[in-house]
Amino acid sequence: MVPNTLSRRESLKAVSSGIGYLAFCSLANTARRSEAAHASGATGSPLAPKPPHFEPKAKRVIFLCMRGGPSHLDTFDYKPRLLRDHGKSSKYQGALLKSPWQFKQRGKSGLWISDLFPQVGVMADELCLIRSMKTDQPIHPRAMTQLHTGNAQFVRPSLGAWSLYGLGSENNSMPGFVSFNPPAGTAQNYGSSFLPAIYQGTRLNHASTGSSGGRRRGRGSGQTIPDITNSRLTSRQQRQQLDLIQTLNREKLDRDKEQPGVEGAIESFELAFRMQDELPRIMDLAGEDQRTLDLYGIGADETDDFGRQCLLARRMSEAGVRFVEITHRDWDTHFNMTTALPKLCQQIDKPIAGLLQDLKRRDMLKDTLVIWAGEFGRTPYGQNSDGRDHNNKGYTTWMAGGGVKGGFSYGATDEHGYEAVENVCHIHDWHATILHLLGLNHERLTFRYAGRDFRLTDVHGTVAKDIIA
Amino acid sequence: MINRRQVIRQAAFVAAVVLLCGGVLLAQERRITDGPTRFFETNIRPHLVKHCYGCHSGKSGKIRGGLRLDTKLGTLRGGNSGPAVVPNTLDKSLLWSAINYEDFEMPPNRKLPANVIADFRNWIEMGAPDPRVGDSVEVRSTVSTADIEEGRKFWSFQPLKVETPVFTGSGAPQRESWPTSKIDLYILANQIENGLTPAGDAEPNAVLRRLSMDLVGLPPTPEAIVSFTRNWQRDRQKAVSDAADSLLKSKRFGERWGRHWLDVARYAESSGKEQNLTYPHAWRYRDYVIDSFNEDKPYNRFVQEQIAGDLLPVKTDEQWAENLVATGFLAIGTKTLVEQNQRQFRMDLIDEQIDATTRVFLGLSVACARCHDHKFDAIPQADYYALAGIFESTKTYYGTHRTQQNRNPGPLLHLPVDDNAEKNITPRQLAALEEQLVQKRRELRSVQQEVRKIRSSGSSPGGDAKSVIGKAIRMRKEVGILEIRVDSYNERGEAYSYCMATQAVDRPTNSTLLVRGDIDQPAKEVPRAFPQILSNRPTRIAHDSSGRLELARWMTRDCSPLVARVMVNRVWLHLFGEGLIRTPEDLGMSGEPPSHPRLLDYLAARFIENGWSVKKLIREIVSSRVYRIDSKYDAEKFLVDPENKYLWRHSPRRLDAEVIRDSILAVSGQLEVRRPRASLIAEVGPASVRNGILITTTGGDGPQMGRMNSQRDRFPQGGRRRQGRRFQQNGRRQGQRGEQNERLQRGGVNRQRAGNMRQAQAGTQRSAIEQNAESAHYRSVYLPVIRDYPPRALDLFDFAESSMVVGKRNSSNTPDQGLFFLNNPFVIEQCDAMAHRLINEKRQLRDQIARAFLLAYGRQATPKELSAAIKFMRGFDVGTRSGQFRDNADTDVLRRLSALCQSIIAAAEFRYSN
Repeated sequence: MVPNTLSRRESLKAVSSGIGYLAFCSLANTARRSEAAHASGATGSPLAPKPPHFEPKAKRVIFLCMRGGPSHLDTFDYKPRLLRDHGKSSKYQGALLKSPWQFKQRGKSGLWISDLFPQVGVMADELCLIRSMKTDQPIHPRAMTQLHTGNAQFVRPSLGAWSLYGLGSENNSMPGFVSFNPPAGTAQNYGSSFLPAIYQGTRLNHASTGSSGGRRRGRGSGQTIPDITNSRLTSRQQRQQLDLIQTLNREKLDRDKEQPGVEGAIESFELAFRMQDELPRIMDLAGEDQRTLDLYGIGADETDDFGRQCLLARRMSEAGVRFVEITHRDWDTHFNMTTALPKLCQQIDKPIAGLLQDLKRRDMLKDTLVIWAGEFGRTPYGQNSDGRDHNNKGYTTWMAGGGVKGGFSYGATDEHGYEAVENVCHIHDWHATILHLLGLNHERLTFRYAGRDFRLTDVHGTVAKDIIA
Repeated sequence: MINRRQVIRQAAFVAAVVLLCGGVLLAQERRITDGPTRFFETNIRPHLVKHCYGCHSGKSGKIRGGLRLDTKLGTLRGGNSGPAVVPNTLDKSLLWSAINYEDFEMPPNRKLPANVIADFRNWIEMGAPDPRVGDSVEVRSTVSTADIEEGRKFWSFQPLKVETPVFTGSGAPQRESWPTSKIDLYILANQIENGLTPAGDAEPNAVLRRLSMDLVGLPPTPEAIVSFTRNWQRDRQKAVSDAADSLLKSKRFGERWGRHWLDVARYAESSGKEQNLTYPHAWRYRDYVIDSFNEDKPYNRFVQEQIAGDLLPVKTDEQWAENLVATGFLAIGTKTLVEQNQRQFRMDLIDEQIDATTRVFLGLSVACARCHDHKFDAIPQADYYALAGIFESTKTYYGTHRTQQNRNPGPLLHLPVDDNAEKNITPRQLAALEEQLVQKRRELRSVQQEVRKIRSSGSSPGGDAKSVIGKAIRMRKEVGILEIRVDSYNERGEAYSYCMATQAVDRPTNSTLLVRGDIDQPAKEVPRAFPQILSNRPTRIAHDSSGRLELARWMTRDCSPLVARVMVNRVWLHLFGEGLIRTPEDLGMSGEPPSHPRLLDYLAARFIENGWSVKKLIREIVSSRVYRIDSKYDAEKFLVDPENKYLWRHSPRRLDAEVIRDSILAVSGQLEVRRPRASLIAEVGPASVRNGILITTTGGDGPQMGRMNSQRDRFPQGGRRRQGRRFQQNGRRQGQRGEQNERLQRGGVNRQRAGNMRQAQAGTQRSAIEQNAESAHYRSVYLPVIRDYPPRALDLFDFAESSMVVGKRNSSNTPDQGLFFLNNPFVIEQCDAMAHRLINEKRQLRDQIARAFLLAYGRQATPKELSAAIKFMRGFDVGTRSGQFRDNADTDVLRRLSALCQSIIAAAEFRYSN
């Protein structure tokens, strides 16, 4: 189904329902505005839902960002040859290192997934593994930036910003692009760059229990974004105050007649006012039953942190947020892999499986695209005897839901998992595919800046059509 | 200072000389006569092929360490660690130390025989003759000479053409009565041609508010409004000119217009990107820009100083210092400090400089020719590398301290005159710092040894390994910071004044065209020159000159029409919201054509004629009729020209972020107009930025951090005390702030907080920078600008992204802005102060309300607004969340009035200019 395409007027109505100025607006401005909108080609609020280029498979995205470069060779890319050639010197650099973990075929589809992901393995038939990823950058920050923006050298809009720019938002009480706990120094990875600032990701920091404590804190925190609560006024008082503000705004609109800025202020004040309730409400997990909390591993030491993020991501998606990104870190296993990797995988295994199950039982998985990706993978040869080095030439990401084939494996690396050789999916192709699933043609989704039409995929990108269900 | 490693290298060098002496003499005797090329072919090339090409050549496909030895260029340029061969200079030639197994051990399997090593020595000392040319790639340009010839005809590259406006059709009555300046004639002619007429004059208070916001970025005072209105009634033209004159004289002017420049100059006080390190001396460039606008420095001079200030002739050291600071323009861009390949880092730095220079001054993007010929303008790739040679012959002093991830730390330049802006320390404190450095260096060495042990043991090092490595990284950073701090003072503890700047290198070089911009694919060498599309004559750059001074002079002389057009357009943009060309950084083929080409050229010519005076230019524009017309909407005209391209009205505009914040402080009476000392970042010194927190050393009582104690300390003389009573809550906030400043003061706490970031909720811990920005009452242009972490109050309102050249800012309208006005502590505090001010200034509620409107909007309240405000004051229940603050009636009034002030400030009119 084509998403609801609200007109300028309808969206204004939706945004401002509950206060009395609408009648005024319509009386004063209907005739004028329709003319104006026609004349200027104005499409209304920049966040109003926009029609995609074609029928979309997915309506929203949950991006599980794995920071540090998770090893594909020990998780999702099964390489029997690596097992056989273990210890032999490789043509790459150093001796080959087999995975210390067993791989098994999972689900009806029989996807090979290692023992590090038993719970995710249960959901194998929902997963679409892309085993032929490739990116240009071998070092973390640049690769991370390319993962998000397609370009490591220049500051460019992020995938989430492009998605929001292309589709608008479906919740008028919430920002359309949210990034949880983004690491330090990565503002450009959820930034809008030259796109209008309204498309940038809103950074949220959720209440975590901390990985060591394991204490169960309050299920939510009001202080999720700056200035979300007033230290002094009650909601009723604030409404009184806001009514005065809107009276002044209406007075100005009345005098100025045509003033998109003032109209915008009226809209955003109401959204801000509602966000004060809506955002803490969404961030508050008190309404979730114990079964659901358990599903995500909330309350258990290892999984509490990421479980909360996953559950919050679901709640955001449910509320109509277009693009939600959550982050898990420390995947940079140069050494101590045999102890570090199981821990890392354990922290996310149950939460992710829980997220997929929860989405499925709510019938949301069909149009929610879940993406799991790090900035690159790791080498088949060993490092420091118990570790692997960075590898941007071949690695694995996966998607689930949102119109991709479940229980499917796309592309392949060479016999040892070093380099993508079959159906190579460069990060530009990956971006093109994600936009495609959202109903956006990556070549048509452009923005004019400094005299040029810019795209997320620059002059590259081919949609991996094979993975689409 | 010679470090240990250098000492070792020198010792080894002496040993090598002694050992090889006999052989060398023999060698020379035998071979000099053979000619240098022959010597290379017989004694050097075979060894390079046999022992080096395997890992360092294009053919083998391996270019280990970025070094290729199969071309002359690759050999001279070297790899990640620096030049492999520096002709005539053995001790700078890495190839030499490598074959002697001094630092690198090459070839790795076995040392070359002594006689071969002697040949290399001989070869380097005779100037490393190397006939290997021609094996580089031939790149054929798609841009022909004819294309360039054609490209030069583009309008923006043409000389200025001053033509009188042409009126089509029969005499519109406005033609006689409306214009008050030549500008108006151009505007009107264009309007009549498009069937439009200008709106009438705006109300005087609106004109003054517009003028005041545009010129100094602050709202007019009620007194100024009264006097301006009186003058206006007598003589409108004179009233505007007089007001403009007095605003242009104000020091606030430079702060407003300097900030516009800082937007395009991508000014910031940190490196940005992955390893975000502070630039503690960037603020000098900021102040230089502000001062330049205030003293109305001729723009052509301003341009020259920023590109080549270090090379301009000077009479005094003060002048020299100022010129050096100006070149900070080239040094303050973003840096990818984590880049491991030094050559890549260098080319990226040069690219950033070319991009900023061409877009800011010439309105052209030449930087896209780094990888291929320019798609639209006739700029072949070779032209890019011709410019690159100029910047390659330039050394950039950007500073930054050494950390594990900062692989490209650099020095700063010590100014010829110390400006005493930074605080001194006592010799004792300095001694303590030095002692600390010695100790930390020792600790670092021992930790590094541990790390080496772990690495070499090969076995699984156990859980401690990570913490040891983490410790080594931390120690490296601490040592790096301490080194910088020790270097900041002379032996008496007096702070040196450093600046970010450029200098010419001793031996200027040409750059080499890189295929697809890839540093591993050098093609032909390109002589240093200016873009051909802009120069008819061949460039003259002396072989011993970098060409930067020539570039600066050429731009302001040969390119003056373009340079003037670009600047005039920027000025127009800041006064009308849109430029005459709506793409201020692109006056090339892909840019938009000017809406009023004749007006643009007229203004550019006037600009040059008036000695490139920005103030005169602004004065002429704001004194025009079109500047003071009303902003009223008109349905018919709107249909004809919805974008208001022809200026039939004044476009209403959202105020810039700084103007909003400064206006809040101005109406609350809390604005501190004095310039604060240096910058918060200067006080913090070298630090890295994580989650918006500045991380310095753990050394708690360092003198640098001690200075962040009080706000008042940041002004040359004692700060102004605030007047009036404080609310209990306000008082508590004060207390909180004190506490936070304490924290800020002790780097140790910050460190720890950063370390805890993972567990903590960053949302509840507003960053140190943020807290400081909130408590500061000085003008916004002086707030610290950390890349990726601009102060929230500015960030929310589309502050210029400091990693990019921003000629025109966005104007967004986000819910975050609403939340800011509704809930932000700074806003609430200022509204409290404003309420105090109203009570102090007026007795009656009605008068207080009227005053509030006048202060905030520069006009009288309408009857409807007045009654709504009075109704609010009566109906607003001041009972608070916890039911306190009921203690006295005064407090009630204050709280109501504060809530009212907040509504007035929050409403859209406050942040719009009509």
